[in-house]
Amino acid sequence: MASLSEEVLLVVKKVRQKKQDGTLYLMAERIAWGPEGKDRFTVSHLYADIRCQKISPDGKAKVQLQLVLHTGENITFHFANESTAVKDRDAAKELLQQLLPKFKKKANKELEEKNRMLQEDPVLFQLYKDLVVSQVISAEEFWANRLGGVNNTDQALYNNNKQEVGISGAFLADIRPQTDGCNGLRYNLTADIIESIFRTYPAVKQKYCENVPHNLTEKEFWTRFFQSHYFHRDRLNTGTQDIFSECAKQDEKGLKSMVIQGVKNPLLNLLALDDNTLDEGYGVCSPQPSTSVANRTVKESSNSAIIKRFNHHSAMVLAAGSRKGETLNDQGSETSSTDGNSRDSDCFHPPVKKAKLQEATEYDDLQGENRPKTVPLNLKKSDRYAHGPVPLQSHQYTTSQDIINSVNYIHHEMSNYKPNLTQVMSSTAASSAIAALSPGGILMQGGAPQAIHQMIPTDIQGELKHLYVAAGELLRHYWSCFPVNTPFLEEKLTGHLEEMLQAAYNKFHAWQTRRMMRKT
Amino acid sequence: MKLNIEGLLVYFPYDYIYPEQYSYMLELKRTLDAKGHGVLEMPSGTGKTISLLSLIVAYQSAFPLEVTKLIYCSRTVPEIEKVVEELRKLMEYYAKETGERNNFLALALSSRKNLCIHPEVSALRFGKEVDGKCHSLTASYIRSQRHTDPNLPLCSFYEEFDAVGRQVPLPAGIYNLDDLKDFGKRKGWCPYYLARYSILHANIVVYSYHYLLDPKIADLVSKELAKNSVVVFDEAHNIDNVCIDSMSVNITRRTLDRCQNNVDTLQNTIHNIKESDAAKLKEEYRRLVEGLKEANVARETDVYLANPVLPDEILREAVPGSIRTAEHFVGFLKRFLEYLKSRLRVQHVVQESAPQFLKDIFEKVCIDRKPLRFCAERLQSLLRTLEIADIADFSAVTLISNFATLVSTYSQGFTIIIEPFEDRTPTIANPVLHFSCMDPSIAIKPVFQRFQSVVITSGTLSPLDIYPRILDFRPVTMASFTMTLARTCLCPLIVGRGNDQVTLSSKFETREDIAVIRNYGNLLLEMSAIVPDGIVAFFTSYIYMENIVASWYEQGILENIQRNKLIFIETPDAAETSMALEKYQQACENGRGAILLSVARGKVSEGIDFVHHFGRAVIMFGVPYVYTQSRILKARLEYLRDQFQIRENDFLTFDAMRHAAQCVGRALRGKTDYGLMVFADKRYARADKRGKLPRWIQEHISDGSLNLTIDETVQLSKHFLRQMAQPFRQEDQLGLSLLTLEQLESEEMLKKITQIAHQT
Repeated sequence: MASLSEEVLLVVKKVRQKKQDGTLYLMAERIAWGPEGKDRFTVSHLYADIRCQKISPDGKAKVQLQLVLHTGENITFHFANESTAVKDRDAAKELLQQLLPKFKKKANKELEEKNRMLQEDPVLFQLYKDLVVSQVISAEEFWANRLGGVNNTDQALYNNNKQEVGISGAFLADIRPQTDGCNGLRYNLTADIIESIFRTYPAVKQKYCENVPHNLTEKEFWTRFFQSHYFHRDRLNTGTQDIFSECAKQDEKGLKSMVIQGVKNPLLNLLALDDNTLDEGYGVCSPQPSTSVANRTVKESSNSAIIKRFNHHSAMVLAAGSRKGETLNDQGSETSSTDGNSRDSDCFHPPVKKAKLQEATEYDDLQGENRPKTVPLNLKKSDRYAHGPVPLQSHQYTTSQDIINSVNYIHHEMSNYKPNLTQVMSSTAASSAIAALSPGGILMQGGAPQAIHQMIPTDIQGELKHLYVAAGELLRHYWSCFPVNTPFLEEKLTGHLEEMLQAAYNKFHAWQTRRMMRKT
Repeated sequence: MKLNIEGLLVYFPYDYIYPEQYSYMLELKRTLDAKGHGVLEMPSGTGKTISLLSLIVAYQSAFPLEVTKLIYCSRTVPEIEKVVEELRKLMEYYAKETGERNNFLALALSSRKNLCIHPEVSALRFGKEVDGKCHSLTASYIRSQRHTDPNLPLCSFYEEFDAVGRQVPLPAGIYNLDDLKDFGKRKGWCPYYLARYSILHANIVVYSYHYLLDPKIADLVSKELAKNSVVVFDEAHNIDNVCIDSMSVNITRRTLDRCQNNVDTLQNTIHNIKESDAAKLKEEYRRLVEGLKEANVARETDVYLANPVLPDEILREAVPGSIRTAEHFVGFLKRFLEYLKSRLRVQHVVQESAPQFLKDIFEKVCIDRKPLRFCAERLQSLLRTLEIADIADFSAVTLISNFATLVSTYSQGFTIIIEPFEDRTPTIANPVLHFSCMDPSIAIKPVFQRFQSVVITSGTLSPLDIYPRILDFRPVTMASFTMTLARTCLCPLIVGRGNDQVTLSSKFETREDIAVIRNYGNLLLEMSAIVPDGIVAFFTSYIYMENIVASWYEQGILENIQRNKLIFIETPDAAETSMALEKYQQACENGRGAILLSVARGKVSEGIDFVHHFGRAVIMFGVPYVYTQSRILKARLEYLRDQFQIRENDFLTFDAMRHAAQCVGRALRGKTDYGLMVFADKRYARADKRGKLPRWIQEHISDGSLNLTIDETVQLSKHFLRQMAQPFRQEDQLGLSLLTLEQLESEEMLKKITQIAHQT
């Protein structure tokens, strides 16, 4: 064996790869496989190169383990030892499971990302070659600027495109308890439902973090959750040992704080609705008897608990759906920060009220069309809209009347044509004129602009383009330093950026002279 | 546009007009011309307010001597503010068209809570606290005390207003509540007192019913309003209840205990004053001998709005000798109090009339009728004399004295019911003495008598003829307007049966029936699957809703509904409900959709509009009858039968149907809006119920949709919603339900318009 100096952690025999029997070695830093009877590895991969491993499902006839590499390539090992195949595979799997994360470093991922970007973007690749490979700019600097930008735009795109998925209002209803036949209930929980529960009830999540796994197993936790009064909202609180009784209290508090916060829309504030000045003791309706807690029956208070819980549940589901958006808005616009929790800002209140009143008193159909009418943008040629104006060749626009007139004129001329035989051209001059006017002739060669990319060979064009883009990139670096507000930027500006620009100029100069030389 | 309403130039601040608005203005103009009262029903969302304002403002400009003031009464604070905003729009249009600012002064008036700008006082949460605190800073004797003791706290805004504000009238313009506050802040004047002072010379006053109907407030605020004013009660479908509320009194044991404390305080204060400042009490005595002549003179010369608590007769007399001195009066109060306490000690329900009560009180404690009548007036005088700072503390004794005056003044229209315990909890003693007004006309009578035109208007006033009867007045115009529609944007459906043919009804016998509850649940579930955005469901009472929600929860119906929409539920707590409401709207806004479960007669059903996507469907579960077992209600029904020949059933149905109409009307706030109105009770199909719905709803109930099953309802709703979802442009309406000036003036259209108003 070639490199036995390495520590071998596991050897599995009778492993087939590409229908060839062989032995699988798991070593400290790599995984390797060699065909039977040969002392070299035909397959050898560093753990760092492996993205993940996959195993065949339990029921399958073939017991396999697949490795997926960062390159996208995958290798499948078939464990062929009939009696111990599953055990072998599992041993390898377990070991890999422990080893792989150690090698999975962040740097790896980043590299991968960079690699991907270079592959996907030929311009960037060229730029990379021009600037980094030719050492105009250091690789870090190139990426520092680039990756940041890319990440940012990526994120923005992500936010725009991918909408936050809300929570189904009925997620708790989806957990249908099923009887398992022996006086028990089975709840089916999916990761989605758990996430929904956590997002809707942060208190439960907190409990989960506190208790799982040191106090309770996950299963126990959820069992208790479903047994608790907290889940069955109508049951009255029975025992204090219920870990969720605290959650209920927290929810209560949350609901209260929501209520105290009040409503933003003054038209909805039922408290301020009445301009009632009837004192206590006046009026037909005596003070509501149902508000006194003492004489309410158990059933009634459980009913009202259900109602409260529904309101709370709906509010939480709604909040969970919009939470993300809100925080973003908070950063973005100043106005939205005011409607978050600073209710006391009285200065903000009247405009909302005014706007709402305005809205409520408007009859849009009675009003004439006084608002500017928006015209839908109707593009016949969208590419023309996207690419901006194309230089019009010198032809002028003529109205249809002009055309008709000129046609008529020519018609008239033709019909009245009388050859003046005394002043005819010589036949050679005529034929050369015809040649010049026929396609391919001197006069039919079109305008000058078309010429430039035909006149210059593509390789020169390409090189020039690269130089141009590289210079542009450098200038981008240059301008991104402004305003110079950190010493680092200043240093960058005065120090090596200048050098870089110089280097780029030199490079261009060199190219120019080389071209000139070749031309002459 | 400029309209010609039977020779009157009316500026209307829009380019288009609904035909019914024109018709409405015609009727209104006739009412004003006749200097009489009117009852006008016009569907919600057809621009009732702006039509009213346009016409009356035009009338005021044309005949400034005949109509000097418009008093516009609405129900809630947001509605008041909306009216002022519409008025602002109108005035801006006037300014634009005529090129000059007319010197109209219009303002909104609300309680101190909504107008106070004093940093400490306005921070208080409850209206009562604000009033009390304000009073303790601004009462006249407090201020006079400050001359001797300058360290006493004061309200600089009030002082400033008192010193300067009265000389310069409020400049012409439109003042909403916030504008008043701004103005007050700028000038350093108290906006509340400024507004109260300014309503006397304002052209238009917008405030709540209570300022005119509640004698206690009306006496303070609206007493001196000019006789030739036009009074408008908007959203007046509940006006009878407001009247009754303002005249009814409940006395519990707690009230009496607090009253006892008050009387003790009074006694001590009198004792102290007697030692220090006996002259003051003598002065009061002298005043009382002279009687209430001043008030009498003022009323005879027609300067004051009469106060129903202070009937004419007592104004001509002096305060009887038995309660003229302060000590005697306090002794009198004590005796009265003891008597009330003994009455509250009963073991069984007692119901008696006012004369019976008076007879009994005379026999037991020898209190005559006459001093009782002066009780309220005498107490006010005493409180003034004793310079009591915090009136709020004395609310209990004020309540008792008001009761004394009322019970001795009106031998008819009131009833006294003493209940030793609540019906539901017969073991817990909680005696209450209800002194209940049964005749709404008592409170509103002075308004009809004093002002030349009173207009009662709302979206739901059907049947129209019942209001003049129960309010006891003769209207010159009574009209109900239909809604001209280019597309039928409302779809009333009566669901009578479940898919299993179970009769749906909230009637008492089947109220607990699980089959009915399940079918109601199915209806809501099915609707939640097909209706976009918001659905509002109303139940007949809060307890009923609680029970239904609980059993829906047990049956898993709510969970299934949650798959379609979020659920929000009204609770008895107003703050909690406000929160739920806002979240409900938020859920409708962001497209998730929501259901609001609410209660007819509740705050939501009365004050909140569900425009457009906030309410695409309203489901009315059951007929919202009032709780008929209440003794007060029974007494009132009896009274209505005896006095006005209104049968009990007729009144109950009328009351239920007006609330049902209010509920379903919440969803439709305009012609571009649309909404389903699902009446989920078989009883709605009966002619006597259906006939009491407003005409604009009634005429869209087809015979085919009287007894639908849930499936049929879903089918019809789907069809309706699909139709409504088609784009609806202004051009579609134009000429049918929306007119330009040109179209309006065509012969044909004018003929059509005459058919819109439906006289009764």
